[in-house]
Amino acid sequence: MTNLFKNRLWVLVFLVFAFACSDSGEEKPLGKYDTGVLIMNEGNFGANDGEVYHYDPATETLTADIFELENSRPFAGLLEDMVLEQDRLYLVANTGKVEIVNPGDFKSIGAVSADLDQPRSLATASGKLFISDYGPYNASYATPDSYIAVVSGLDGGAVSKKIEVSNKPEDLFASGKYVFVAGSEESQIEIIDSEKEEVVKTIEVSGRPVQFFEQKGDLWVYSYDSEHIYFQSFHLDNLTKKEFRELPVAKATGRIALGEDLKIYIITSSGWPEYQDGVAVVSLYDSTLIPAWKSGSGFYGIGYDQARQEIYLTNANGFQGNGTVTVFEKGGTEVGDMEVGRGPSGFLFR
Amino acid sequence: MTLLFWAIAFFGEAPVQDTVKLEPVEVYAPALDLYAQGQKVIAFEAETLQAYAARSLGDLLQEKSPVFIRQYGAGMLASPSFRGTSAGHTAVFWNGLPINSPSLGQSDLSILPVEAVDGVQLQFGSAGALFGNEAIGGSLHLSSESDFGKGFQAALSQTVGSFGLFNTSFSGGFSSNKSTLQGSQSPQSTLQGFETLGGLSGRFRKSFSAKTRLYRQFANNDFPYQDLSQAGTPEVREDHAQVEQLGLVQDLAWNLSTKDQLKAAVWWQKSDREIQPPMGSNTQDLQSDESIRAVIDYFRFGKQATLNLKSGFVQDRQHFNGSLNQTRQFLLAADYDAEVGEDWRFKAGARATVARGDLSTYTATDQRYEFYQSARWEGLEDLSLSLNLRQYAYSDGFEPFLPSLGADWGFWENGKNSLLLKASIGKGFKLPTLNDRFWQPGGNPDLQPEESLNGEIGLNWRKTGDFSLDQSLTYYRMQVDQWIIWLPMGSVWAPQNIREVKNQGIEYQGNAEWKTGRWDWKMGLAYTYSRALDLTTEPSHPRQLPYTPEHQANGNLEAEFGGFSLNLSSFFVGQRAIGTGNARVMDAYQIWNAGLSFSQLKWGKASFPLRFQVLNLLDRDYQVLYLRAMPGRSYQLNLTIHL
Repeated sequence: MTNLFKNRLWVLVFLVFAFACSDSGEEKPLGKYDTGVLIMNEGNFGANDGEVYHYDPATETLTADIFELENSRPFAGLLEDMVLEQDRLYLVANTGKVEIVNPGDFKSIGAVSADLDQPRSLATASGKLFISDYGPYNASYATPDSYIAVVSGLDGGAVSKKIEVSNKPEDLFASGKYVFVAGSEESQIEIIDSEKEEVVKTIEVSGRPVQFFEQKGDLWVYSYDSEHIYFQSFHLDNLTKKEFRELPVAKATGRIALGEDLKIYIITSSGWPEYQDGVAVVSLYDSTLIPAWKSGSGFYGIGYDQARQEIYLTNANGFQGNGTVTVFEKGGTEVGDMEVGRGPSGFLFR
Repeated sequence: MTLLFWAIAFFGEAPVQDTVKLEPVEVYAPALDLYAQGQKVIAFEAETLQAYAARSLGDLLQEKSPVFIRQYGAGMLASPSFRGTSAGHTAVFWNGLPINSPSLGQSDLSILPVEAVDGVQLQFGSAGALFGNEAIGGSLHLSSESDFGKGFQAALSQTVGSFGLFNTSFSGGFSSNKSTLQGSQSPQSTLQGFETLGGLSGRFRKSFSAKTRLYRQFANNDFPYQDLSQAGTPEVREDHAQVEQLGLVQDLAWNLSTKDQLKAAVWWQKSDREIQPPMGSNTQDLQSDESIRAVIDYFRFGKQATLNLKSGFVQDRQHFNGSLNQTRQFLLAADYDAEVGEDWRFKAGARATVARGDLSTYTATDQRYEFYQSARWEGLEDLSLSLNLRQYAYSDGFEPFLPSLGADWGFWENGKNSLLLKASIGKGFKLPTLNDRFWQPGGNPDLQPEESLNGEIGLNWRKTGDFSLDQSLTYYRMQVDQWIIWLPMGSVWAPQNIREVKNQGIEYQGNAEWKTGRWDWKMGLAYTYSRALDLTTEPSHPRQLPYTPEHQANGNLEAEFGGFSLNLSSFFVGQRAIGTGNARVMDAYQIWNAGLSFSQLKWGKASFPLRFQVLNLLDRDYQVLYLRAMPGRSYQLNLTIHL
């Protein structure tokens, strides 16, 4: 009897200790998806089979369809973007929803599932979600009613407001109370005040702005047209243009990865009918300009593992079935490849 | 050969009005299987077609044949896959007129209602020599069948059912001057080993036949389903799958003299559909398909020969979210079929087709010419051989001679039992469609035709008597090369001759009929094993093509007693992957249907057959294609008035 009581007491002590640990935040044990590589598979149009794969480079273990594995239901959407902010992982489906999961175990926390059309990306600011959305197509497949949807809580819920922006907004970037919007079709960066929930400033840029990133403490936006690529940085204090770069990389796409030594890897594609894909490498701070670091066909997404200094390049294999990820060391030597989900388009290195 | 109403030839009595013994139908149509020795052909019973009258050909084929139907939801696109091939590898004919869309190269079986046709036959395997373009995996033959000498006939039919199903149809006909068949009528064995009446030279007196059919088929399709795309997978109702189809079919036939017959048929149909999105999508696409198909046949009957002149027109107009795609086809054909001596029979013919596409992104015209000949030899008792050849010429070149060779050999007969061995080998091909060649952007004018080679061997066991049995087992092998797939090239998708596929499989079908006391029993069982290996994606480790189940089966049991008929049927579709490589595999499913009908309700000359059906009896939650919700249990009640 005494022994039993003792055991129970120890269990109690352990439990209290465990809860104390998790409450402290800092010492929370790592979840199984808190390390390794999350592979974003867009899925095929009309099939809604987008999913996330997890790859552990240390053990070379690949786990398929982890959203479905952890939530016992399919993702059921075309996965456009994965955004890790505020200790939440936002899975943005361009078929009209955002699923919110705990990044450690991928268990569903919430969702935004109504009042969205074609969401593209997401950012958090002032405790709210800002979701870029193309809006509905009109009869001629244009999207004149693009918007940024606002959701009042970080765990999803109803869309409380739609802020009208220029056509086809892509990436978002939150800096303080401001949310930067890459307005791809009309070459505009729109800046939203997240408290007022309105566009407070519009900045014209070159090309199609699609992706924000930070390098050396500056916020940059990457944009491209058929002949060139462009990089524009911003003063975050007065919301004005800072530095500008224009580089002669033709046929660039919106897919980029930030590599070693401030290098930037960019997928290029000649498109139909020649259809030659490649990877170009450039730098904002030195004269690096390699127009065809790799060439081939079917390149769809790219990522860079800063820890291992490895480049992950995907091939969608014509969307006929599973795609492939090929891993290269920074020198360009192939390290290995793996079969992943349909239309692999991007990565999150944890 | 005079075509007989196959239901009568095969089953000897009319459905529903079972007290009336139907006369042979003398409206002539060349028999499908005259030169198809060694090939597998299935004809559906008239009873089966009546039971499916409120449904589509897609449903019929999925539940009652070895064909797999890729169904994109309730009442949505249904494309056939014969022996592991694609929808575009199925030639579809209506009264001998090819009706596949020249821009898409396929037909949507969900908008071909069973209501609109009287005969449905399936032919399996590559038969380019016999049926021309697109007969790679098989072909589907729809027909109108009208008769002479019936006076006035009319029927009004109403079906109501779950999820807002409300179908109405009317058919009315007049035919004059009951005529008699005077041609040679030697029994001949058909592919199935059934005996049917044959003979080339039917003789008719002057007479006229007209039949009109009008139908409206409507369904809200607001069925409940579990929405897997939402947290907690709540049950929701489908709210964007409403379907309405309107149609008119007019059949006319004249016996101009004892030697001439003129036949015409027109089929107009319009379907308006809300396109059911996959779970997780909120698209609100609207599609409207309007088709006009018309065919005129002239037959001249000689002593030992028949001349047929055929002219046809098909127009398809498809509005998708307001964007219009329209195609038109004109066809002219002539063929001459003659018996020579006791043992030989020959057919030779030519066909010219002009197709014009006015699509949202291009306008194009295509001309095709075909020359074909067939020969059949029956020099030895119980053995018949056929050889078919076809030469195809189109605007971009000549397709090499397409041959096929087949044999039927009734090698054993012992009282009530007989065995028939069938073997055939043939080529098939498919010209690139107008969209494949001209769609902007992406169309590829340099595409080669898809090609196939098919060989099969089958054994048929037939037993007559109190317990009658008809069983067949077929093994086939096929190779399809230059298979066209649309692939993304940057942001543009373009077609390429890329895929190579090796198919093989086994098809079993068995039917039995017997009596116990006053009960008549019928049982059918079918099983299909289909291996379709993609040699393109991973040649060293070829895998089954996407959405191609290896295993399929169906069965039914029917009992009849005093005008009541009870029916229980089921079909099974095995696992199938949703993409190439190691893609997601979808669960197998088995669906049960049950029906009860009563055919003896009569008042004077009028009869009122009643039918009640339960579909998906066990309320199985299933998907044919990934995330495309399908309805659970549903009920249909049908009342027909025959005057």
